[in-house]
Amino acid sequence: MIDAAIEVHEASLAYRLSHSGAGTAKEYVVQLMKRQVRYEKLWAVKDVSFQVGDGEVLGVIGANGAGKSTLMKMLARVLPPTEGRVAVRGRVAPMIELGAGFNPELTGFENIVMYGTLLGRNPQFMRGQAPAIADWANLSGFLDVPIRSYSTGMLARLGFSVATDTEPDVLIVDEVLSVGDAAFQIRSFERIEKMIAQGTSVVLVSHDLAKIRQIADRVIWLDHGKVVSEGDPETVVGQYEASVT
Amino acid sequence: MTTSFYDSDQARRPLISEFQNIWDHRGLVRLLVGRDLTLRYKRSVLGVWWTFLNPLLTTAVLWIVFGQFFRFEIPGAPYIVYLLSGILLMTYFSQATLASGSAIVNNAGILSKVYVPAEVFSFAAATAAAANFTISLGVLLIIQVATGVGIPWTVVLTPIPILAMLAFTAGLGLLIASAAVRFFDVIDFSAVLIQLASYLAPTFYPIEIVPDRFLPLIYSNPLYSYLVVFRGFVYEGVIPPTWNLLYMAGSAVIALALGVWVFSRSWKSMVVVL
Repeated sequence: MIDAAIEVHEASLAYRLSHSGAGTAKEYVVQLMKRQVRYEKLWAVKDVSFQVGDGEVLGVIGANGAGKSTLMKMLARVLPPTEGRVAVRGRVAPMIELGAGFNPELTGFENIVMYGTLLGRNPQFMRGQAPAIADWANLSGFLDVPIRSYSTGMLARLGFSVATDTEPDVLIVDEVLSVGDAAFQIRSFERIEKMIAQGTSVVLVSHDLAKIRQIADRVIWLDHGKVVSEGDPETVVGQYEASVT
Repeated sequence: MTTSFYDSDQARRPLISEFQNIWDHRGLVRLLVGRDLTLRYKRSVLGVWWTFLNPLLTTAVLWIVFGQFFRFEIPGAPYIVYLLSGILLMTYFSQATLASGSAIVNNAGILSKVYVPAEVFSFAAATAAAANFTISLGVLLIIQVATGVGIPWTVVLTPIPILAMLAFTAGLGLLIASAAVRFFDVIDFSAVLIQLASYLAPTFYPIEIVPDRFLPLIYSNPLYSYLVVFRGFVYEGVIPPTWNLLYMAGSAVIALALGVWVFSRSWKSMVVVL
């Protein structure tokens, strides 16, 4: 076990880029015979270490391509680290891209059960929760309709409502707070604040620096997969802003 | 909610981890199989008939060609029963292997966003094909009754070859999936191999017409043993030779263990390209 809710120790992740771009076995065999197969490792995250304590909110900032989303996927267990260690204690709610596995042909109810089960919950439990989940997303009247007739906003609300329905110990939020209309943004943000108040640890990726300043206890700034700076929000966000302008 | 703990340092225990994963996610497997059957049967225009159309049409055409033109005779059974039982089993083999092999690529959108052990999708796809096959047995049993063959008591043993085939195809599916993540043409290539393998088993011709020097080739094909066992149970009403039973069970266990082992070893390098 570990002491902190999240512990990341010298973790790195490499994507493998094929120079020749062999996408088929046929091409691969041809290139193998010509001895052209070469791979290059692209380090999306390199030697990153940090800890997140219980109830702590860690903000992660950085330019596009800095490795923020890759790091979030490593915390969510989707990508195993190429090197180093990632350990997370408790139940994790990954809000990376909402609505993974939504099937347009299935009804709202069926999708709630499927998505919740994919997030590691019990299907039977999800059937019981479905009415409350739909209610929170203002979709009660649409539960029996295939979701291909839902609007983008409706889908986003449904995804958020399912993902945040049960209290997680660790919440990973990657830029999903900007879904829906203004009223829904306020409501979804309130829901996250309530979880923080109840002791959920949060890792929050956002380009909204004002929001990061507002809710983060600590911030790390990533650039080209490495931690450039780590510390209190004012200092790190200030440094980041200075580097951009 | 149970407290969980994730540590990337925790070594994956090949074989044990995979079976544990599937057991832990049995609720998800059931949902995925249910979704597959629902989408197939309830919401398509032709419903159940669509699934049976392919094997039934194949059977009809082969019956005309080989039953009427070539006049194949099967000792002890009408040719149509022999043919349909063979076609249905080979359709199951082909569907289960290919669906299981492409399940991971098809669900890449999910696997790159939330943590679900990927082998769960392969296993669920093979299980859905097994469920389809079980439903299609209804057609075979009707034909058995209609042609006067009847239904022997050994029919209660058919779950044995069905489950062996499930393990066999899930194993082959994981092998294909391991390669298909990197090379998408592996699936097409596998489809061709599957078809060739089913020609080298007595699916539509009687084993009696095979010249002696080719018999070892047929006998070494695991599909031959599956056909013998399945036909023995479903309409012949006989317990098949022990070597066929052992060969069937052995090939199922070996394919499953090999598939899981290769998959387990290659997963870490596969997941980054999803």
